[in-house]
Amino acid sequence: MHETALMAGVFDVIEKHTADLTVQRVTKVILVVGEMTNAMPDALEAVFTVFAHGTKVEGAELQIRMIPLTARCTECEWEGSIEQHVFICPHCSSLGLEIKSGRELYVESLEVE
Amino acid sequence: MEIKVNQGILSSNERTALENKKVFDENGLFVINIMGSPGAGKTTVLEKTIDILVNSVKLGVIEGDIYTSKDAQRIEKHGVPVKQINTGGACHLDAGMVSKVLTDFRLSEIELLVIENVGNLVCPVEFNLGEDIKIAVLSITEGDDKPMKYPLIFRESRAVILNKVDLIDFTDVDMNSLRTDIKRINPKIEIFEVSARTGQGINEWSRWLLEKVKDKNVKNAVN
Ligand SMILES: Nc1nc2c(ncn2[C@@H]2O[C@H](COP(=O)(O)OP(=O)(O)OP(=O)(O)O)[C@@H](O)[C@H]2O)c(=O)[nH]1
Ligand SMILES: [Mg+2]
Ligand SMILES: [Zn+2]
Repeated sequence: MHETALMAGVFDVIEKHTADLTVQRVTKVILVVGEMTNAMPDALEAVFTVFAHGTKVEGAELQIRMIPLTARCTECEWEGSIEQHVFICPHCSSLGLEIKSGRELYVESLEVE
Repeated sequence: MEIKVNQGILSSNERTALENKKVFDENGLFVINIMGSPGAGKTTVLEKTIDILVNSVKLGVIEGDIYTSKDAQRIEKHGVPVKQINTGGACHLDAGMVSKVLTDFRLSEIELLVIENVGNLVCPVEFNLGEDIKIAVLSITEGDDKPMKYPLIFRESRAVILNKVDLIDFTDVDMNSLRTDIKRINPKIEIFEVSARTGQGINEWSRWLLEKVKDKNVKNAVN
């Protein structure tokens, strides 16, 4: 259950961005999670509630925006989504695919009062 | 009011990992982070590897475990400096935990630092420690569906050790499909078929690792 450690990271970021402001309450947290991360949205939501309890984040909505796995071919410039984690270029069969998106794990924005 | 943030939730670990990496590089250390399920054979493979490499390269070992120091005790018998990290519940090592024990080693006297992560196929992958490469250990008794179920560890690893091949006849594992799946996820990964029990494949893997250590040493000597 490393969602606990990930959520600690989320709350560090929230704290850092609200500490010097006169923020009474955080009402919404938008979290961006790539498809190829080991973060389970359900587990994140469960842990979020636990972390928020008794803080200015209590009662806030956690919105998780999932980002699909996409890659770019370094040989032929093909770009597209990766299905079934097959990292072989569908256009030129090259094995040199670089991940373009799908590894994100970041707090995008907060809604505060 | 909306606050734009755009900050990674692993950014503080990433920062510490970079600091670790700097220390490793300054000391000319090659560092590997060994990951895999509980019982995959990480410690046993490491013990066999140490016995082969101990005369060619100066080793140090960090053992990650939730509560015990059993693995560190096993490594100690092979005559290399070893330090135990107990995570106290956490399912992975993080860069800060590694940073804290580095002072216990004479880093300038070590060429290869091996970090055995907590037994887990999922959690350790997201937490960089500052290592040069990640190594996955998968025992074939875990089943050939594991790469497709847990692709990230195979994508991020530079090599995978398929351990316990001595047990092949007792499993329904299709080695070809296992290898194909791993190569689809990471076409550049090295695959070693190993039995830490019989010693099969240990030489080949150890030689490959030694090359990597030497490569880094040469680079350091040039710079
Ligand atoms: N048959 C067989 N057994 C093995 C092999 N490698 C390891 N084992 C056995 O598998 C069990 C687990 O091995 P360990 O090396 O402790 O595994 P580990 O991955 O370090 O486990 P944790 O640190 O607890 O996650 C032990 O009983 C080993 O003797 C192998 O190649 N063949
Ligand atoms: Mg072990
Ligand atoms: Zn291509």
